[in-house]
Amino acid sequence: MTTGEWLSIAMMIGVFLFLATGFPVAFTLTGAALFFALLGYSMDAFSLTFLGLTANRVFAVMSNEILIAVPLYVYMGIMLERSKVAEQLLETMGQLFGPIRGGLGVSVCVVGGLLGASSGIVGATVMAMGLISLPVMLRRGYDPAHTCGLIAATGTLGQIIPPSIVLVVLGDQISNANVQAQRALGKFSVDPVSVGDLMAGAVFPGLLLVLLYILWQLFLAWRWPNSAPAVPRDELGGVTGIALFWRVLQSLVAPLVLLLAVLGSTFAGIATPTESAAVGAVGAIALGGLHVAGGRRWLILIGIVCSLLLVVLTTMVDLRVGRSVTTIEQDIAIAFAVVCCIGVGVGLLDAMRHLHRKGMLVSVARTTTKISAMAFTIVIAAQIFSLVFRGLGGDDLVHSFLTELPGGKWAAIGLVMLVMFILGFALDFLEITFIVVPLVAPPLLGMGVDPVWLAIMMAVNLQTEFLTPPFGFALFYMRAVAPPSITTMQIYRGVVPFVILQLVGLGFVAAFPGLATWLPKLIYG
Amino acid sequence: MKLLAWLADCIDAVNEAIGRAVSWLSLAVVLVTFIVVVMRYVFGLGSLYLQHSIIYLNAIVFLMAAGWALKDNEHVRVDIFYAKASPRHQAMIDLAGVLIFLLPFCALVWITAWPYVLASWRTLEGSLEIAGLPGVFLFKSFMLVYVALLALQGVSMAARAILTIAGVAPKTAAASPTTGVL
Repeated sequence: MTTGEWLSIAMMIGVFLFLATGFPVAFTLTGAALFFALLGYSMDAFSLTFLGLTANRVFAVMSNEILIAVPLYVYMGIMLERSKVAEQLLETMGQLFGPIRGGLGVSVCVVGGLLGASSGIVGATVMAMGLISLPVMLRRGYDPAHTCGLIAATGTLGQIIPPSIVLVVLGDQISNANVQAQRALGKFSVDPVSVGDLMAGAVFPGLLLVLLYILWQLFLAWRWPNSAPAVPRDELGGVTGIALFWRVLQSLVAPLVLLLAVLGSTFAGIATPTESAAVGAVGAIALGGLHVAGGRRWLILIGIVCSLLLVVLTTMVDLRVGRSVTTIEQDIAIAFAVVCCIGVGVGLLDAMRHLHRKGMLVSVARTTTKISAMAFTIVIAAQIFSLVFRGLGGDDLVHSFLTELPGGKWAAIGLVMLVMFILGFALDFLEITFIVVPLVAPPLLGMGVDPVWLAIMMAVNLQTEFLTPPFGFALFYMRAVAPPSITTMQIYRGVVPFVILQLVGLGFVAAFPGLATWLPKLIYG
Repeated sequence: MKLLAWLADCIDAVNEAIGRAVSWLSLAVVLVTFIVVVMRYVFGLGSLYLQHSIIYLNAIVFLMAAGWALKDNEHVRVDIFYAKASPRHQAMIDLAGVLIFLLPFCALVWITAWPYVLASWRTLEGSLEIAGLPGVFLFKSFMLVYVALLALQGVSMAARAILTIAGVAPKTAAASPTTGVL
């Protein structure tokens, strides 16, 4: 091995030591990279021209259109969190499932899945459920360790159930890697992979995980009835029959409409991930407005009706205005659509006015801005880290190592999964996606691995990392909301079965690739 | 020491003001993207200007708010040891981190971005694509603003760390991150 390659290995190890100091990850990554770059330069193993590319890389991040979806999804998630959608859902689902054994646990799974499908911000989901469901479940005699594990695990579902931020960044990186791999094979007409493919591919694996969680909860409740007792119906507010049905329907409307708007527009193949994220964010503003407006919500409702009319009109009539010949009917429809747009605009402005009065418009925008600044800084840092790693020859090292591994494709995939899993103990999904995926995906795809399947495997793996003690982010949030009587060890212990369930899910996707690849093929051909 | 505290306060105030101001642009990104969606999918109208303005707005938000996020301790840390350390110990890590990691990072981006931005100014580089929103040279200049604000906040962080180590000022409890994507 060359000096550079040795240095690239040392850099990977060194960065972990630096990270352990606790200085913000983004700057530690670049600081460590710079250190090894200069070391390599002094030993004639690194050319400074690689560092010269920094500005180009920063600019590439600045002008990346796909990544704009990240702050938009963050905005949507935070707005939904503040509008208490989770609270409402948990309450009604608890009333629905509570009377069966393990029912409160099942309702947490269902709500986690629904929230995952509408926003999927781990911290927000875990904290909401931890604050509402955890006390109730503990009071009812649910096993504390199991309950904490369940809530933390369900909170991470948002990262795999589309739309999700993990899938956006993975999609960005996998599509680059795919182009690179196919070029290397001498193909110049590349079959593109899009974020939309991944969103579609993640639907069944995501549902599978929800199902596994529910089955596990039901199994526990059947085997150890005392760990998850049923709750008498009259203690749940006494809502039954039609009234309960209505409540469930009401609480489901908001998340389902958002789900339809975001996933519908993605899967219909019309909107880019960024565009559907914006639709979701605006939907969240409308819901937030409805939540705070109290009795004066009619303008917002008009806006929502107008937007539905607009969708119907668009699917039925050709409304494109740039044409030379239009029929009278089309002209009328276009005029009507313009009126609808005004209605949507008025409703949206009114929703924002209500939100602003409560200070929510400002606080959501500020939180989003900070998270966005943090996330993009990590992306930039990871780019610089990768530059140095490549400059030292680490890229080629990884490439030749993976392709020459005895055991071929499966051994390489297994190793990559293992490495990603281990890295997850210290790094989060952004760094792993931007550092590891560009390194390992091109050689793997070059061996003929399906890009969508690979991405979904990686996504499940990354999602699991939110759960692995001691660094799993979901666990931090769980700790933050759990009462002091629950020990951190209890939380760790409670989460272990769910980490195993995740691995079972991963095994299913590995054994039946169709779980990930069937839907994208159906939708995108 | 008083001067140091004053300097840190000034820098914090600047980044706070900038952060609050650009937060409005986050909302603008949402709204402009939504307008693009409606125009395109309902009326079949595309506007490269609007599309590029989304890219510009989004980048300006995260570039200008990075210093603010650092101030509010929003950048992710691996904090198993850090969280348990004494305030003095934390201050030492912060001080060393700023000097060894943060400022070199800013220097690297500044040094490579300077000629890059300058070249763009020389030709008054137009737009990202033909017939797109003009002013790429201005857009690229935000790279320099980004590292300048981050470096400034780093100086403030270092100043506060020095005050803590010297025992002059107690380390103000840094705001814990509110919510994370992570």
